Amino acid sequence: MLLILDVLTTAGILFVVSIGLLAVFGVLKIINFAHGAWLTIGAYCAVVAAQLGLNPWAALPLAFVIGAALGGLAELFIIRPLYRRPLDAILATWGLGIVIGQLITLGFGRDVQMTTNLFSGTVEIFGADYSAYRLVALGAAVVIGVAFALTIEGTRLGLSARAVIMNETLARGLGIDTARVRLFTFMIGAGLAALAGVLLTPLTSVDPNMGVSWLIGAFMLVMVADASFLALGVACLVFGAAQVLISTFVSPILGSIAIAVLAALVLRISPKGFSRA
Amino acid sequence: MPDDVSALGLAARPAPAGARLSRAAPFVVAGLAAVALWIAPLVLDTFAVNVLTRSMIYAVLAVTVDLLWGFAGILTFGQAAFFGVGAYATAMALTYLGATPEWIAVALALAVVAPMALGLAVGWLSFYHRSTALYASVISLVTPIVVTQLIYSGGEWTGSSSGLVGFDVLPLELEGFFRLAALLLIAVTLAAWVFVRSDAGRALVAVRDNDARCAYLGLSPKRLQIALTTVLAGVAGLAGFVFANASSVVAPENAGFLFGTELVIWVALGGRGTLLGPVLGTIAIDYLAANLSGDLPFLWQLLLGTAFVAVIILLPGGLAEVARRAWGALPVGRRPGFAPRLVASPPRAEAAPSDAPLLKIDGLAKSYGSLTVLENIDLEIRAGELVSLVGPNGAGKTTLMRCLSDGTEPFTGAVSIGGVSTAGLTPNRIVALGVGRKFQVASVFESLTVADCLLLARAPHDGLSAFGRAESLTLPQAALDVLRMTGLDRMLAEPTRLLSHGQKQALELAMVVALEPRVILLDEPTAGLTKAERTTIGAVLKTLTADLGIAAVLVEHDLDFVRQISSRIVVLHQGRLVLDGTVDEVVNSDLVRTIYSGGAHV
Repeated sequence: MLLILDVLTTAGILFVVSIGLLAVFGVLKIINFAHGAWLTIGAYCAVVAAQLGLNPWAALPLAFVIGAALGGLAELFIIRPLYRRPLDAILATWGLGIVIGQLITLGFGRDVQMTTNLFSGTVEIFGADYSAYRLVALGAAVVIGVAFALTIEGTRLGLSARAVIMNETLARGLGIDTARVRLFTFMIGAGLAALAGVLLTPLTSVDPNMGVSWLIGAFMLVMVADASFLALGVACLVFGAAQVLISTFVSPILGSIAIAVLAALVLRISPKGFSRA
Repeated sequence: MPDDVSALGLAARPAPAGARLSRAAPFVVAGLAAVALWIAPLVLDTFAVNVLTRSMIYAVLAVTVDLLWGFAGILTFGQAAFFGVGAYATAMALTYLGATPEWIAVALALAVVAPMALGLAVGWLSFYHRSTALYASVISLVTPIVVTQLIYSGGEWTGSSSGLVGFDVLPLELEGFFRLAALLLIAVTLAAWVFVRSDAGRALVAVRDNDARCAYLGLSPKRLQIALTTVLAGVAGLAGFVFANASSVVAPENAGFLFGTELVIWVALGGRGTLLGPVLGTIAIDYLAANLSGDLPFLWQLLLGTAFVAVIILLPGGLAEVARRAWGALPVGRRPGFAPRLVASPPRAEAAPSDAPLLKIDGLAKSYGSLTVLENIDLEIRAGELVSLVGPNGAGKTTLMRCLSDGTEPFTGAVSIGGVSTAGLTPNRIVALGVGRKFQVASVFESLTVADCLLLARAPHDGLSAFGRAESLTLPQAALDVLRMTGLDRMLAEPTRLLSHGQKQALELAMVVALEPRVILLDEPTAGLTKAERTTIGAVLKTLTADLGIAAVLVEHDLDFVRQISSRIVVLHQGRLVLDGTVDEVVNSDLVRTIYSGGAHV
């Protein structure tokens, strides 16, 4: 039973961490290797909020706004010149991640930071104690997923974004300002990454390089999901389950590479990943 | 990305003396560098010798990354993994077996073979028919992560997170290791330099530019990519061997993904696709890092990261690009491109005329989901026939061509070439059966010259030299005719991206003809051409079929052109073969008139 909870909460956390990357990959067709840096930015927003004595939950909107604003700048100056060079965009965003990591180090030092816990304690479930926060994180994943789905399905930006995903040239021909769609999408993706960074703070230590370890997993999940956010949910569940089961029954070290290896094999067999299902 | 790799080459055709000089240039430079680096430890202090030994080993890795990324277009983070495997193989062999000459030889062999085996596996995983560049990068990212985790899980055997230290090594002093690293670097760089300037080096660029065209010239892009990955994994492993000996320490970070990204950063800053740029860039950056990062650790990383982002966006050619522009501005910097002499190949012995069809299509059908694009196509084409495939847009003509030239397309029914079924064959293997395909949109290699494109088309017949450039290029007379009639024979040294639309079409036709196919598939070869160019191409097609006995399938919209040159016409309409007859039968049929006047959407 607890194993099932572990799988569900792990999948929820993976989903929260990957969704911003997926939004950017879907619409902009580029892989944002600075995604890890935005997770870090979000986590440091929580640190700052704690230092200012704000309610820990206030860090969530703060991180989203700051992440989105910085994302807008990054899109304008770094992503935009590289739309036609997707492999170079991977490199430039990786470089941007290095720069952000070093700026954070210069500002806050390289030590692990403390944050106030968003939600502490345990709840009794199925006759055993379970970390309450992991359940909160699962709830957050569901809320973010639903909000994301509503944005995609119900708003004008979502409609434009879907049009750009399907056929960018045609979308431009129909008068959609694709540059603006890209800008807003990147801002939302960056905002979601920062939001995820805040949600990660109770689960992981906060230091300038914390994002990198999450980046690869998120990247592999997005590759497998191929721009479909339902497929991302499925991928998070399947690979989250694989990670938890392998870590529990085989070895934690193999569990840590389960997502990367399995995703690579899935892509080798079916290049579109889970999106066709 | 450098558009024209031949800018590196200094070959000049008119002056043989100059050519000889240019062929000797890499060896002269290498010799001078070897002498300078042999003396260097005598004048440098210990710190510099130590750091530069490491920098030069890293530079060897930079050369391998440059060959993969700068030349072959494969962005890789995986060289760190192969380096790590080589270093660990050495360290483990020396730790557990000892450092006697025999065991050192074993360690050396392991350090090369183990990474090559891994490289072969990674290459097989990364490159397959229709694999994407992004997928190869994904795999190259996963490889170092997996290797690092395996090192961690190796426990005492691999030293886990603290690595292996203090094993006995080659009996060399500090200077000795410096010289060893220098010789390795010079040897690897020289070999890479000779290779990229050779004819075979063009194939790397060709795969980067247009792997579909490569496959349709009968070259196997994936085999080339897998071979390159495997060999360069071995080179990285060799660098790992020297590293483990020189430093007497190996750690998991040596195999890590972060080190893999650092290698890419050095190559990008130095200038991808230039070899010398990455070598000098790596040495300079690593040496500077060793000197500066003690005082300003975070600021140094910040500066490097900022420079990297700026170079990727503003100066994709890296610092070598700056140097090359400066050099190009000088009058001495400009050299004419290299072009071989054209020679006509003796005509092929005519195959015994036979009545068996060269191309046979049996009940071919293809659908995308519920949409049926082709159904129940039966067609036989014999040697010497020129069959035109006509029909309105969307009739399925191009789809049919694709099914004929790629046996991995999902379709039902059977296609055979000269009696051999194409089921499951990739395009390059169908080309080997004697099929040449010209695409609707001219498909040539944009970074290469006209001569290089033709050279690659001849590669399945004549092979490619990995050491130098062929002086002459043997082409079948028909291909020479195409070149002469379009004036391309006087533009052999021109990069193809400067050609006009019509010239590109003609070049692609010449490339396909140079394959000496038995069956030639042409998808609108005259689209967008002038009247004169059409007549030329029509004449060439007539010669190919009537005189040389090639079977040709031509997709064409221009009915006048079709009428003049075809021996048979086949009409495709809404995915079905509705007419198959002589020119007169078809052109005068009511059906064709209604289809072409637009009334036949039954």
